[in-house]
Amino acid sequence: MSQSTRGQRRPIPSSAFAALLYGIMFAIYLLYSPSAITLAGITDLLNNTIVLAIAAAGLTLVILTAELDLSSVGVIAVTNVIVATVSTKVPGGAFITLILVCLIGLLVGLINGWLVAFLGLQSLAATLGTMIACQGVALLILEAPGGEVAAFIMNRLTDTVFGFMPVAGLILLLAVAGWLLFRRTRLGIAIYAVGTDALAARLSGLNVKATKWLAFGLAGMAYGLAGYMLGAQTGTGDPRISNSFLLYVFAAVAIGGTPLGGGRGGVIGSVVGAGILTVMQKLLFAVGVAEFYTNIFNGVIMIVAILFGNLSAILSLRQKAIMSQHRDGQLVPN
Amino acid sequence: MNDILTRSLVSSRTFKPETLTALLVLLGAVLMMLAMKVLNPGFGSVQQIAAILTTSIFLVVAAYGQGLVILLGGIDLSIGVVMSIAGMMIAGLTNGSNEALTWALPVTLISCTAIGLLNGLGVAFLKIPPFIMTLANGTAFFGVALGITAGSSQRTVAPALQVLMSAQIGGIPVPIVLIGWFLVAGSVLQSRTTEGRKIYAIGSSLAAARVAGLPIEALTIAAYGVSGLCAAIAGLLLAGYSSSATLDMGDPFLMPTIAAVVIGGACVTGGRGLYFGTFAGAIFLSALSTIITVLSLSQGWRNIIQGGIIIIALILQTKQWYLLSIVNRQLPGKQSLDGVLPQNSEV
Amino acid sequence: MTTFQWLVTVAAVCTLIAPEGRLYAQNEQKYKVFLDMSYSGNTWQAAAANGIKALAATPPYDKMIEFKTIISGTDVQRQISDIQSMIAAGAKAIILYPLSPTALNRVIHQACSKGIVVFTYDSTVTEPLAYNVSNITARYGANTAQWMVNKLGGKGEIIFNHGVAGTAVTKTYDEQAYAIFKKYPGIKIVGDFYGNWNDATSQEEVSKILAAHPNVDGIWTVDGTYGSLQAVVQNRPNRLVVIAGQSNNGYRLMMADPALQAKGLQGISSSAGPAVGGYAFKVMMEVLLSKKKLTNHNVEYPLPWVEAKDIKMCSGDRFEGGCNVFPEGRVPPLFLDTALDPKFLPELSLDAVQTGNPAAGAMIQPLPDPKYADNLPGINCQECKAPADALEPNLVSPIPVAK
Repeated sequence: MSQSTRGQRRPIPSSAFAALLYGIMFAIYLLYSPSAITLAGITDLLNNTIVLAIAAAGLTLVILTAELDLSSVGVIAVTNVIVATVSTKVPGGAFITLILVCLIGLLVGLINGWLVAFLGLQSLAATLGTMIACQGVALLILEAPGGEVAAFIMNRLTDTVFGFMPVAGLILLLAVAGWLLFRRTRLGIAIYAVGTDALAARLSGLNVKATKWLAFGLAGMAYGLAGYMLGAQTGTGDPRISNSFLLYVFAAVAIGGTPLGGGRGGVIGSVVGAGILTVMQKLLFAVGVAEFYTNIFNGVIMIVAILFGNLSAILSLRQKAIMSQHRDGQLVPN
Repeated sequence: MNDILTRSLVSSRTFKPETLTALLVLLGAVLMMLAMKVLNPGFGSVQQIAAILTTSIFLVVAAYGQGLVILLGGIDLSIGVVMSIAGMMIAGLTNGSNEALTWALPVTLISCTAIGLLNGLGVAFLKIPPFIMTLANGTAFFGVALGITAGSSQRTVAPALQVLMSAQIGGIPVPIVLIGWFLVAGSVLQSRTTEGRKIYAIGSSLAAARVAGLPIEALTIAAYGVSGLCAAIAGLLLAGYSSSATLDMGDPFLMPTIAAVVIGGACVTGGRGLYFGTFAGAIFLSALSTIITVLSLSQGWRNIIQGGIIIIALILQTKQWYLLSIVNRQLPGKQSLDGVLPQNSEV
Repeated sequence: MTTFQWLVTVAAVCTLIAPEGRLYAQNEQKYKVFLDMSYSGNTWQAAAANGIKALAATPPYDKMIEFKTIISGTDVQRQISDIQSMIAAGAKAIILYPLSPTALNRVIHQACSKGIVVFTYDSTVTEPLAYNVSNITARYGANTAQWMVNKLGGKGEIIFNHGVAGTAVTKTYDEQAYAIFKKYPGIKIVGDFYGNWNDATSQEEVSKILAAHPNVDGIWTVDGTYGSLQAVVQNRPNRLVVIAGQSNNGYRLMMADPALQAKGLQGISSSAGPAVGGYAFKVMMEVLLSKKKLTNHNVEYPLPWVEAKDIKMCSGDRFEGGCNVFPEGRVPPLFLDTALDPKFLPELSLDAVQTGNPAAGAMIQPLPDPKYADNLPGINCQECKAPADALEPNLVSPIPVAK
């Protein structure tokens, strides 16, 4: 479908700017902490990033359709405690639990999607409700931090394979590859179309409600996977929800270049955005920022990252003006 | 008889459909309490209702600012932090003396309004998404306050504030009187002044507002400033109520302000919603939390019920629009409800 | 601006940052010691952190260690990330407030395997190589519940103020308290809520429950005690309650006030105090400097236990001569009297726990031998069993159950 843009240069995707910022931050971090470049250092960094990255990837799908989703932390809490209570009790626990958490995440996501797309509820409030309800379910399953995650999950998934590849990194690469394939599918394109202009999408024959419903469902599945990875990272379950984590998920998406109004951006940017937020913490520690300034820097860096990303919007708009208008030279997914 | 009622509802300038939403939300709160009374006869005494109303003042005040910002299509995530900062400031500056209030009060209010104005500047001029701007700003100022105070005020709150929150006028607790006054003042400011109406216009359609030449940046900054001011007032009241101030005391209020605004019928993309609706939403949430407390269940079940009731309230709200639209179609010489229906429902 | 111009700008910014230089100088004589906080912004955490900072700056430790405070925030993965950073930065000792008894085990194990001494304060971890200093094993729930039952004569209506749901502390204390209350058929819990250790929340909720149950006789709390009592004083001033809870200065003053006692106020001031942080720090330093060797990794910090008759006003700014409360106005009502500990932490003054600055002229005093803690599975140990009487009070003798 993008053949008609032959001869024109594609605008720079906003995730490229996020990647550039990440590179700069990592370079500074490396400057102050040489162990960052070792395999152990990189594995640790990827392990620290992966839960946020997968959650942000899921959220991106919903935000692309111009909706909001607060339920990520709720689903993560539920699936995390399930991993910690079930994975050691069932033979082949790691794999079975994986299927289980994906199904549960999918279920919650589809419920969200049904509430928003078919019942017409506002997504912010509806997902706030499901988030609170999910936290309740998590507390019923496990009333205090504890449980035990199967050794396979805990040890193998945080380790490296082939001697040099951190498993977390492999998972992220698979996610990115999956996204690159997905965005070319009918559903992927529909998600962008719905987010850009729902009315026009409906008039051109797309099923807006089904698209949103599925977007929420897939996002829920991603959250389930994030909860599973959290179990791998911590080795236990925790029914409590971290409000700050919820805000980080949104920040990762925004910093990655996906505007919260929908229609533009993509998963790759959100994954990089998650990386930025994670390496930011390492960077501030390594540079030796006093505790007084940590929060201030957190806030300022978030703003700078957005400004950085805004640049991409300005630049890509200029390039689009240079490009001639083709009906199907659609907005650049990335 | 039905159509006459609806027609008068719809055609009257003062009685917009959103008012109906707000009334229904209040009705919902009352119904919940009646249901609890059936299960638990001790529930719902005048004293308890007074307690529910008194403790809802913090949410009522803070949610006003949130409502104003959401009307513009934005959101304010710094409300919790600003509430705490206001409480800490008033405690630190007055240190138990009433005389100091004369200058400490304006200093606190102005400082917190300034934080709000900073939010507005970032959103209006730097074009930073409100979610990130208010979150980042709140985080940064939390850091500043944490660095200065280590997190807990070592000074006492001026007694006058404490007395304000516990006194009574003619048998009615002062906070309840304040709520009534705030409701009237807030509604007038939001819906009856030209500035307020302009904010509605901006929220409905940014492009149209720009074409009409409305001062979008100025109003945006003002709205966030008002949000900061409201959060500050709520923080002062909270400090007076609990005779203390900590840096995390505003945290439990952030999510409820968002919930109150949305349950009250406002549209998150902006352009629609009455303060009366937010007010009703705040009362509804206060009543809901009381009921959940009285049910004496484990926290897990409490959360499930709370989440469930929020969703039910939203569903009922949408159904009400649907009902109105059906009724509307049967009216002769119909008053148009176009543009009144929320964008999410594809009717 | 072109991309190239942006890159140049950023590179320039980097060179501006670089001259700050490495703040972790290679100074072999000084031990790198980190304080890792998670929660922040409330009275308890502030006082505990200030106590630790003041002690770290008190001679001779101020010359011996390079001390740094990190606030990880409430997301457990950030705490894991920060601890990994501390390991990479060459830490010799880490004292932390863990967000979870289990989630940090792997990274703490990593740290301990590298020879780093890891101590937790108040909140515990189940990692066997870490050291826990806490009074979570001192049976707060059982003792306070039994005390209340004794004072109520075995019958009465009670409001139950839970702490934060989903924490090990809340689960443990609630379990103990409920077990005691259940033994006495005359005791009825008419209302319970989650005060989340927050005084404003507690005040709001108690006033709502009180309105529905005007004959409440007692309130059980872990924290939020001052707020809970305020609600009673405001709504039912002529008939106060039996109450168990924290050690806020305002609360202790009310406990000792004869006018309030005449209206029926009977209070016990207990609960975990911020001084546990300073105590953990001193024990950690003694272990780090090889002055002490601990045979058990779980140290019990004594549970504060102050009744109305034990309350004595302080004239100065230290707890001397047995005094344990400050006059009104000297400190705000929420100030925690258990931030000071004249027995174990004589080096701390009021100013020290309010600002983190060391007291003038103070010198670190040696500690007596520590008392070791019981095993509590899932709290401070993994493959272990709790003692058979884990739910029984050990500070208060129970009254017989009425027939």
